[in-house]
Amino acid sequence: MIVVEELTKRYGPTLALDRLSFEVRPGVVTGFLGPNGAGKSTTLRIILGLHHPTSGRATIDNRRYDRIRRPMHEVGAVLDTDAAHPGRSAFHHLACLARSNGIGKARVGAVLDQVGLANVAHKRVGGFSLGMRQRLGIAGALLGDPAVVLLDEPVNGLDAAGIRWIRSTLRSLAAEGRTVLLSSHLMSEMALTVDHVLVVGQGRLLESASVAEIRERFERDVLVRSPRADDLTRILTGLGATVTVGPGGEVAVAGMDASAIGDAAAAASIAIHELTPRSATLEDVYLDMTSKAAEYRATKERTERP
Amino acid sequence: MTALQNRPAAVEIGEEAPSVSGMRLFRDVVASEWMKLRTIRSTYGFVLGAVVVAVFGMLALFFLIQSFDQATPAEQANYEVAEPTVVVMPFVMFFISCIGGMLITSEFTSGSIGPGLLAIPQRWILLAGKGAVAASVGLVSGFLFSLLATIGAMAMLGDRPAPLNPWPAWTDAIPIVLTAGVVVLVASLVALGFGALLRSTAGALLTMGGLIMVAPVFAHFLPTTWQLRVGSVLLPNLIPQLAGVGNPYLLSQVGAAAVLALYLLLALGAGAVTFRRRDAA
Repeated sequence: MIVVEELTKRYGPTLALDRLSFEVRPGVVTGFLGPNGAGKSTTLRIILGLHHPTSGRATIDNRRYDRIRRPMHEVGAVLDTDAAHPGRSAFHHLACLARSNGIGKARVGAVLDQVGLANVAHKRVGGFSLGMRQRLGIAGALLGDPAVVLLDEPVNGLDAAGIRWIRSTLRSLAAEGRTVLLSSHLMSEMALTVDHVLVVGQGRLLESASVAEIRERFERDVLVRSPRADDLTRILTGLGATVTVGPGGEVAVAGMDASAIGDAAAAASIAIHELTPRSATLEDVYLDMTSKAAEYRATKERTERP
Repeated sequence: MTALQNRPAAVEIGEEAPSVSGMRLFRDVVASEWMKLRTIRSTYGFVLGAVVVAVFGMLALFFLIQSFDQATPAEQANYEVAEPTVVVMPFVMFFISCIGGMLITSEFTSGSIGPGLLAIPQRWILLAGKGAVAASVGLVSGFLFSLLATIGAMAMLGDRPAPLNPWPAWTDAIPIVLTAGVVVLVASLVALGFGALLRSTAGALLTMGGLIMVAPVFAHFLPTTWQLRVGSVLLPNLIPQLAGVGNPYLLSQVGAAAVLALYLLLALGAGAVTFRRRDAA
C-alpha cells in the first residue's frame, strides 16, 4: 500500500504539491492522471525518495522508500527514458543495478529476455530507440521482481507498437498480482489500462474513483427532438424524468435512458425526430475537472494578492 | 509483439526485501560502483591520459638529464632536481582524480543517478561506496605511477650526483612513492566531492584542473613569501611535504597531513551534504 499524506512541495515560489493525500491499494492498476505540471512526477519522485517534500510524507508499506534496504526487491520504478549511461551496454547497466541489490547476473539475462532486449543486451544504450530505452527501464524495474511498480508517463513519445507493448505489459504486471501506479496526462490511455484513477490538478487531488464510477457519475442526458415536444415533456416528467426544454425546442432528458424515452413516445404515438444519448467522454470529464482546478487556483491567487 | 513472456521469478512477488546488514549493503554498493567504473570507456580514457602525461613527464626528465651532462660543473650545481613528483605526478593526479569525479558526475549527466538512487536510496551509503572506489583507484594508481616513474628516473639518473639526483640511495625514494599514492587518493576524493557538489563533469574537471595545474602557475607569480605559503598547501606539493623529504615548502609532515584532511573535509563534506539534501533526478 502506498500512502501519501498531506504532501506539499515548493520549488522556490512555485507550489508544485498542495497538501496532496491519497492511497494506492495493493493489487490494482492505479492511474495517476493530471495535465502537465500537475505534480505527478514530483509526487512519484517524493514517494521514491528522489525529491524531499517541503512537508507531509509518503510511505510504501508504512516505510519511507529511503529506509528500505535493497528496495529493488519490493519496488520497481521507471521515471525517465534517459536514465542509463549511453556508453554502457544494456546488460552492464542492469548488472550494475542488480549487483547493488544482491541480484545475480542470471536474473539480468532473464529480464532482458522478458522485455525483448536479449538480442541487443551487449549493445550500448546510446544507440537505443526511445521504445528500447523504455523497455530497458521496465527491465530495470523488474530486476528484483517487486510487488509494487511505479511508472511515470510510460507511453510518452512511443509509437503505436510501443504503446501496445506497454499496455499489454501493464496488464501482465497487474495479472501477476502486482500493485501498479502509473502516471499519464492522457485520460484515454488510462481508460484502457487502469482500474482506479487519481486525478490531480495544480498539485491537489481532484478525484479518486474507479473508471466505472467516473463514467457513471458523468453520464449526462438524452437529447430528444419531436414535433410534439410539449406532450412528450409532460409524459416524461410524469414518468420521473427531469426535462429541460432548450431554445430551439429540443428537449434534454435526464434520469431516463434513450430506449425508455423511445418506448414512452411510441406508446403515446408521438413522433421522434432525434434521440441522442449524450454522455461526457472520460476526456471531457477530466478536462472539466482540471480546468475547474485551474480556475480555483487563479481565483484564490487573485484573492490572496494584496 | 508479446509483453513480458516467461516471467522467471527471482523471489515471490510481494516478498519483503531480504534484510541485510549495513556492511553487506556497503560491500554490494562498492562492487556495483566498481562495475560501473569498469563498464564505461571514459575511465580508460582517463587512465590513458595519465599514461600519456607520465610518458611526457619522463621525456622531460630525460632531456633535463641530457642537458645536465652537457653543463659546466658550476651550472650543474644549480640544476633543478630530476624528481618525478614535480614533472609527472601533478598531471597524473589530475587525470586519475577525474575518474573519482566522473564516478558521480557521469550519473548526473546521463540521468543514471535516478536508477542509481532507486537501487540505493541511502545516499550516504551510495556516496561512501563511490568514495571507496575513488579512494582505491586513487591510491593504487598514485602509488603505481609514482613507483614506475621513480624507477624510470633512477634508471635514467644512474650515478649522477645531487642536486639533479634526489636520492643518494634507492631506499630514500620509498616515502615519496607512498605519499604520492596517499595524495592522489585524497585528490580523487576531493574530485568526487566537487562532482557531488557541482553535478557537472565539466565543472568538476575544471575545478580539479584549477587546483592541481593552474593554481601552481598563479602561485609562481606571487611574491616569494606568498609563493611559498600558497605553494605549500597545493595538492601536488603536499607529496614531498607529507613524505618529509627535501622540499622548499613550509609544512611539517603533520601539517601536510592536516591540510590534506582539510581538503577532504571541505570538498567531500560539502559534496556529501549537498548530495544528501538536494533533490536528485
